[in-house]
Amino acid sequence: MRAAAQAFMALGVLLLFVGGTGVLRFRDPYSRLQAAGVADVGGAFSFLVGLSLLAGWGWELGVLGLLALLFLFTGPVATHAIAKGAFLRRHPTNGEER
Amino acid sequence: MRGIWEAAILLSAAPPLFRLWRGPSFWDRVAGANSLNVRIALVLALEGVLGKRAVLLDVALAYALLGFLGAVLLARFGERGER
Repeated sequence: MRAAAQAFMALGVLLLFVGGTGVLRFRDPYSRLQAAGVADVGGAFSFLVGLSLLAGWGWELGVLGLLALLFLFTGPVATHAIAKGAFLRRHPTNGEER
Repeated sequence: MRGIWEAAILLSAAPPLFRLWRGPSFWDRVAGANSLNVRIALVLALEGVLGKRAVLLDVALAYALLGFLGAVLLARFGERGER
């Protein structure tokens, strides 16, 4: 159980690092939003699954599950809101910054 | 053990912090703040489980909810109005 929990947590941290590299390296805000949105939701969910394997049965498990569901539902909504705002303000897409 | 996980997550919070610091546009800053909120909530949950301080789990839940609200609010604010 402990090894499985650490595997899930390591996968989550790896996904967070990959998303962070994308946020650092991509050239326009839409690409950066895509990297951050996808990798953050996956990484946070995997990390919380590993944490709830470590927590065992109890009300902490309920709170951790609620937190994981919150990330799963609100992460894409926030990414969509930011991307929609950037699109409606006619932000350029091809790497040219203004 | 706990310190290693916390250090790893806080290290992965460096790129969103950079985007929050000098993102070229407003949208980069909002996205960086959102990613930073996710990582801070994860550190709070980790400290709550491994450090046997279960209050921090509720703090993490409230922090994640308010961070999401702030990101959506900033995005809706930047959609109209001047920057």
